[in-house]
Amino acid sequence: MSSLSNRRPATVGRGVPGSAGRGRIVLLTAVGYLVAFVFVAPYLEMLLTALKPDRELTASPTTFLPKHWSFGNFVDVWKAAPIWTNMQVSLIVAAVSTLIALLVALPAAYYTARNRFWLRGPFLLLVLITQMFAPTALVIGIYREMVYLNLTDTLLALILVNAAFNLPFCVWILHGYFSSIPKALEEAAYIDGAGRFTALTRVTLPLSLPGLVTAVVYTFIGAWNEYVVALTITSSPNRQPLTVAVPGFVTSYQQHWQYLFATSLIAIVPVVILFIVIERYLIGGLTAGSVK
Amino acid sequence: MKRHLTGVIAAGLTVTLGLTGCSKGSSSGDSGDSKTIRFVAAIYDDKTKSLWDSLIKTFEAQNKGYKVNLEMVDWTQMDAKVKTYVQTKQTPDILNYNAFADFARDGLLFPTSDVLSPQVSSDILPSFVEGDKYKGTQYGMPLLSSVRLFFYNKDVFKKAGISAPPKTWDEVKTDAQKIKDKGGKGVFPLGLPLGAEESQAEFFMWAMNNGGGYVDQSGNWTIDSQANVDTLNYLKDLSKSGLTQPNPETTDRKDVFNEFAQGKIGMLNGAVFMPAGFINKVNAKLPYAVAPLPTKAGGTPSTLGVQDFLVAFKNGGGKKKDAVSKFLNFFYQTNNVANFQKEEGFLPVTKSAGDVISSAVPYDKPFIDALPNAKFYPTGNAAWGPLANTVKEKLGTAITGDPKSVLSELQQTAQKNG
Amino acid sequence: MHDTIEARGAGARSPAPASARRRNSRILRALAPLPWIGPAIILIVAVVLWPVVEMVWTSLMRISSSGATLGFRGTGNYHDLFGETDLVSVLLRTVVWVVGVVVVTIVVSLAIGQLLNANFPGRRVVRWAVIVPWAASVLMTALTWKWMLNYYYGVVNKVLKGVGLIDHSVNWLSNPTQALIWMMWVAVFVSLPFTSFVILAGLQTVPQEVYEAARVDGAGRARTYFRITLPLLRPALLVAAIINVINVFNSFPIIYAMTGGGPGSKTDTSTTFMYKLAFSGTGDVGESAAMAVVNFALILILVLLYLRAVGWRGEAQP
Repeated sequence: MSSLSNRRPATVGRGVPGSAGRGRIVLLTAVGYLVAFVFVAPYLEMLLTALKPDRELTASPTTFLPKHWSFGNFVDVWKAAPIWTNMQVSLIVAAVSTLIALLVALPAAYYTARNRFWLRGPFLLLVLITQMFAPTALVIGIYREMVYLNLTDTLLALILVNAAFNLPFCVWILHGYFSSIPKALEEAAYIDGAGRFTALTRVTLPLSLPGLVTAVVYTFIGAWNEYVVALTITSSPNRQPLTVAVPGFVTSYQQHWQYLFATSLIAIVPVVILFIVIERYLIGGLTAGSVK
Repeated sequence: MKRHLTGVIAAGLTVTLGLTGCSKGSSSGDSGDSKTIRFVAAIYDDKTKSLWDSLIKTFEAQNKGYKVNLEMVDWTQMDAKVKTYVQTKQTPDILNYNAFADFARDGLLFPTSDVLSPQVSSDILPSFVEGDKYKGTQYGMPLLSSVRLFFYNKDVFKKAGISAPPKTWDEVKTDAQKIKDKGGKGVFPLGLPLGAEESQAEFFMWAMNNGGGYVDQSGNWTIDSQANVDTLNYLKDLSKSGLTQPNPETTDRKDVFNEFAQGKIGMLNGAVFMPAGFINKVNAKLPYAVAPLPTKAGGTPSTLGVQDFLVAFKNGGGKKKDAVSKFLNFFYQTNNVANFQKEEGFLPVTKSAGDVISSAVPYDKPFIDALPNAKFYPTGNAAWGPLANTVKEKLGTAITGDPKSVLSELQQTAQKNG
Repeated sequence: MHDTIEARGAGARSPAPASARRRNSRILRALAPLPWIGPAIILIVAVVLWPVVEMVWTSLMRISSSGATLGFRGTGNYHDLFGETDLVSVLLRTVVWVVGVVVVTIVVSLAIGQLLNANFPGRRVVRWAVIVPWAASVLMTALTWKWMLNYYYGVVNKVLKGVGLIDHSVNWLSNPTQALIWMMWVAVFVSLPFTSFVILAGLQTVPQEVYEAARVDGAGRARTYFRITLPLLRPALLVAAIINVINVFNSFPIIYAMTGGGPGSKTDTSTTFMYKLAFSGTGDVGESAAMAVVNFALILILVLLYLRAVGWRGEAQP
């Protein structure tokens, strides 16, 4: 890493190489960690609240740290509500809708990037426009449609909605990446004796990795966070994703903020880790793309 | 290449179709046999589900071949869920809810005479039955009830030099001023929750003790009456004088109940379940006492009675009537219903359970005694459900805005809906 | 496009039998894209466009408060909707919400993008931290902010009192203006990661030589930034802007979780207002659908503006 950054001096935008003095580095580091803290602080408070016992939650004045660290909350919460089921629902919905969106988007994006045909313009316009549609705005219509199709309270409905509404973005971004890769590169591989499919998988797909990653991340997170549609079309507790189940810990008759936040953390941490893993590829891929 | 990619697409479609099959199969449609019923119950506290679970277990053991599928829904999601059930024709066979008249109007419910034995019907306390009827026919079955009384913190009162709980609104104000002056640091004199959670209740409790309320004797809407306007002006004045917790218009009931439990509120309109749900888990030794609600000029105090209902939906042409009826009659057996209400910290709805509870739970006695003077929401009016939701949302704005215009807007909403 | 025109031209001049064969091959050729783009079209039409039609249709129906469809109602729902006393203020608030959140998000993201692109020890950790609100569910983030802003038990008051910014606790989410500002902050907070990363990606595509050239020309930092970096970031900014506008316009969980749009409708945007029309209050699904159609019209206007901005001319490259 360090040798790399030596070769390519700080791309600080206005970064004029050589001017990066020691004071500047210290300042940047300080600002960086301050920004990092601001972004993480709410989740830190989530953790601290999740570790408080019932009686400390409503104590005023409040304390930053729990007086009695109740690590047991993270165990009890599994018994307090069927959150394991809800988590499976969230995972299935997010994973399957991402898969479908990608499988449907890839061929469409590739074909439109490589061919000119009569449907190309209308299709891209459709994609561009529907990219702007969000399930929230259409929730009443989605709800009525699912009633009509007798799909209310099914995972399939959630999967279809999440896949379909994220599909246009996937097509769009992949189309952009495929278009930016010169056809000549593929043809070169083709002439070298590779089949067209091999050329596609060996040349085009790796080069469009940043686009793929972005599409996957975007769809997965969109589905994972989706709230309104799930709130409206699921009614059985075992078909509700975490987003719908979690607020149930705080009601008129009982307020278990500690469980609410414990569950939230259980839901957030794996995705954060996934993101951190992907971030390397995301940034790395983007850098590679820009160098070549 | 083409073949490969079409293969991928085909695989994707297969997955989709496969899922269609799966989800359809496991969908919670009510196509089951006539001995299996779906029961949607509300979550009152951590115990609710296990109480129902054990009741259902006993029921299924006693009635071979019958099955009850329980779904628990918490109150914050209940309204949206119920709407979804009705629109999607997925109504449960039995629903635990706080309104029923609009379902009765739309012809979705069994009259109680179809599903309850005469013995159970006659056991229901008469004060509830009126609120269970829509156009003269009983559709709602009371599940549990709660009565509100005035709670005060004895320590705070002592510090402020108040010897007896206030009986009139003037006394409320002078006592609140005393608490503000010397009731202790950080103590709010009066808890006044007019936020979206329960403002329809808080407002009604003050209004009824000023001769106001939602409807008059003959059931006409009187939301914009002078008595109601005066009530809100009085509450607005208390808030402006700094005698309540800040921002009553957005304070939920649970907030002031929690603060009272922490000893941070001098007095408020409390509920029978407050010790079980709020006080005991924080400070079981909180020195509090209960008194009747204060009235405008010292007349006979009324209080708010609330009943939540069970209703039976006519699904699939009513083929499950027998199973529904069996389960309901089982639930309303004295011990079952009494145990449920006792454990949940609510009040009984049947005579026989009332006898059991008032001898077993001394704390409940003043509440049970207050029942005869309790006033209920106009639950028999089909417009009540929608109106209550609108009141919850909008009433609080009277504290920062103009009470008269807020109330007349609500009056219009009520009249528009029936 | 080009190919098809040529084919048609040739076909017209051909003798009959060959023409039939050619017509077949022309049809085949016209249908060739379908295996590739067909599934996408089907999914979009069935799950994205159908609800649009359904929604418009519902807005013309009378739906009872318990949810049963009672028949055709014409424009009655729209009449009711435009009779709502809160509608105008809700729409104005929506404009403030969208413009405020998006502008602040982009300005702050430009700074964060620069920071994430700079070289300093621990940059990777800072990047990870910035990602967190993106990975976390918006609803859960909104709930934790609601908890932190709680008047009685919240840490925000404690911190602000600690550093001497306020003397006594403030009930942040009760005053509609303060509540709106805090919720806009939360909306900015959850939009920053994505936007910052889009800008970061944009920054990394700026070739180093450009900066070298600017330096040789003796351009100052500010000048370099505004003359070179910003214009080169234009595509990234356009993407970030439109995605944020759509997301923020449709943002539901933040307001729904933090104030429920209350007191009354004083912190509602048109999205939460639409939901509340159907699922709380008088529970009128028909009127809610009418609100949804109005919202949808607003989105379409935004889309048209966007199409103009990217210069869509039918066949243009994205």
